[in-house]
Amino acid sequence: MSLLQELQKQCALFGPSGYENEVREYLQKELKNAGYNPHTDALGNLFVEVGNPDSPFTLLIEAHMDEVGMMITEIEESGLLRFGCVGGIDPRVLCGKRVTVRGKDKHSLLGVIASKPIHLQSKEERQRVTKADAMYIDLGFTSHEEAEEWLDIGDFATFESAFEVYGEPAVKIKAKAIDDRLGCAIMLRALLSLKEKNISLPYRLVMSFGVREEVGFSGAKPMTFRVRPTHAIVLESTAIADLADVPKPSRVADQGNGGALSLADNGTIYDRSMIAFAEHTAKEQSIPVQVKRYVSGGNNAKHIQQSVGGAKVLALSAPTRYLHSAACVADLRDCEAMEHLIWEMIMHFSTYLESEV
Amino acid sequence: MLYDTLKALCRLSGVSGSESPVAAYIQKEISPYVDEVSTDAMGNLIAHKKGNGAKVMFSAHMDEIGFIVNYIDEKGMIHFSPIGGINLRAALYSRVVFQSGVKGILVSETGKADDPKYATCYVDIGAYSQKEAEKRVSIGDTFHLVGDVQSLSSRVWAGRPLDDRVGCAILIEAAKALPENVENDLYFVFSSQEEVGCRGAKTAAFTIMPDFGFALDVTATGDVPGANPMSVCQGKGAAIKVKDSSLFCYPPLVAAMHKLAKEQKIAHQTEVLPAGGTDASAIQLAGAGAYAGGISIPSRFIHTGVETVDRRDVLACVELTKALATADLFALCGISK
Repeated sequence: MSLLQELQKQCALFGPSGYENEVREYLQKELKNAGYNPHTDALGNLFVEVGNPDSPFTLLIEAHMDEVGMMITEIEESGLLRFGCVGGIDPRVLCGKRVTVRGKDKHSLLGVIASKPIHLQSKEERQRVTKADAMYIDLGFTSHEEAEEWLDIGDFATFESAFEVYGEPAVKIKAKAIDDRLGCAIMLRALLSLKEKNISLPYRLVMSFGVREEVGFSGAKPMTFRVRPTHAIVLESTAIADLADVPKPSRVADQGNGGALSLADNGTIYDRSMIAFAEHTAKEQSIPVQVKRYVSGGNNAKHIQQSVGGAKVLALSAPTRYLHSAACVADLRDCEAMEHLIWEMIMHFSTYLESEV
Repeated sequence: MLYDTLKALCRLSGVSGSESPVAAYIQKEISPYVDEVSTDAMGNLIAHKKGNGAKVMFSAHMDEIGFIVNYIDEKGMIHFSPIGGINLRAALYSRVVFQSGVKGILVSETGKADDPKYATCYVDIGAYSQKEAEKRVSIGDTFHLVGDVQSLSSRVWAGRPLDDRVGCAILIEAAKALPENVENDLYFVFSSQEEVGCRGAKTAAFTIMPDFGFALDVTATGDVPGANPMSVCQGKGAAIKVKDSSLFCYPPLVAAMHKLAKEQKIAHQTEVLPAGGTDASAIQLAGAGAYAGGISIPSRFIHTGVETVDRRDVLACVELTKALATADLFALCGISK
């Protein structure tokens, strides 16, 4: 199976923050089939540990299983559902979108997000952005009672969006949840390759599939306490602002130039030796890679870097357009370059450690 | 001697995340006076003077606010983002220097200086093209304002980055002046990345797990025209912290600090800082927690290129640090071990 196929499979999974179990179950099954014995903790983080458990060095590679979504907060008399956003979603990308609600007994209920139509809006309403609390999810129910048979307050929803590849050449991937199933897909495939090639690593390598990254209450904190890494690589997606009306100095990265290495963001100033390791490895293997130019965003690296006695952290992100929407767009060439680079970094990590000392 | 150390420290470049030149200097200075010096993944420098008593951690941060390069345009101009709480207006039309030594000037797009924004400011390093500029500066390089420390009078010193190299200088001086054997198990932490959220102190405190912890950092004053109402005055002694926006100091420890200062005739005053945080908060919350306090150096015009301190306050802070390092803090605070 190719990276593209694996990504397609994982993007289709339902996993808003706090409801990662379906993603976790999928990963657990795949890992067990490959002969791994993955662990979970109380929050639902999933770990796989390989390599030499007695090594003083632990490399943690981390991605998060959760995606942005919605939670049902109220069932109206009419059977329409009020909702709140889980994670940061621009309200402008909500209206008119298809969603799936995971109802009672895990029933999938298809619906749409709607709001007061434009011809009924006052002049003021037309001029401002309609907020999420003025929208509703329509699942086709006609009464409160009817809706209650199928779902409950607190049930989750995600965007319902086909996985499509477009462009000439056909390299643009459009899907929901690329952030951060791409990271999960790369990690899973690396683990399968390690098993298949029967590679034993001289250091301790932990792959962690995290929970609740999108809501800030990150599973990365307790995860880091458990793993106690000395070094870590966070696989992520980053917004890139590479569009026509953004001045060049404010553009974050360019699609097609490889994964983006963060120098600094709102949560972390990254370790320069790890950045040099990534750049050196990319150069040696002729893998495209770029630096994320703008100080923006943030991810689990913040918690990993500062927890316990500290770790040297790196973030490698897929430059992604329209992040946190139903139609995130990544570039297949970047995804493949990231996968290649991570593999080579796993293979050459011991060499890096020697040069570091 | 203290002034020489301070001047040397302030000449070094150490924007948050790039503190290694400062760490290297301090390591050399303090090594003869402690038992062990180590570093960690965050870039903290931890000097350990071993003892059998309470574990006491003092923290001063090595990093300073500054800027990071995020784009070099076709004209060879450098575009940047802030690291830490920069006052862009105060930085405008100033000389800057990169950690590599490259010099530049921080300027604004013509006609936009009244309302400076990061999108309209840039650094001119005297290059005429992107290619020329890229030979000297790379994306990710850090830089800061130029402003060597100078004496304004026999008492007042001005320059950058007194926040918080003055704290570092105080810890070095105190470590040098302590007797060879001290009962307390002392850790002098020169922390990284304080200006972006006390990040280094968190990991250092976790590694050390101290019983008591003190931050040595500058505090604002209420003694200049237009200042927010605040009791701290420059020149009136070491400021003993009661609270800032990141923590409440442990009250019996605050009382003990006052008592020690009074007994040893160290000039002191009480500090309540309405806005701003220190490493003390990170120490207080590490692991199962620590008794935390703060020794603050009153400073005017913080986060500009012309921060000031009073020599007498700095010396009082050295004395108070020494007093705390040698005191039985458990007994003073009435804590049974």
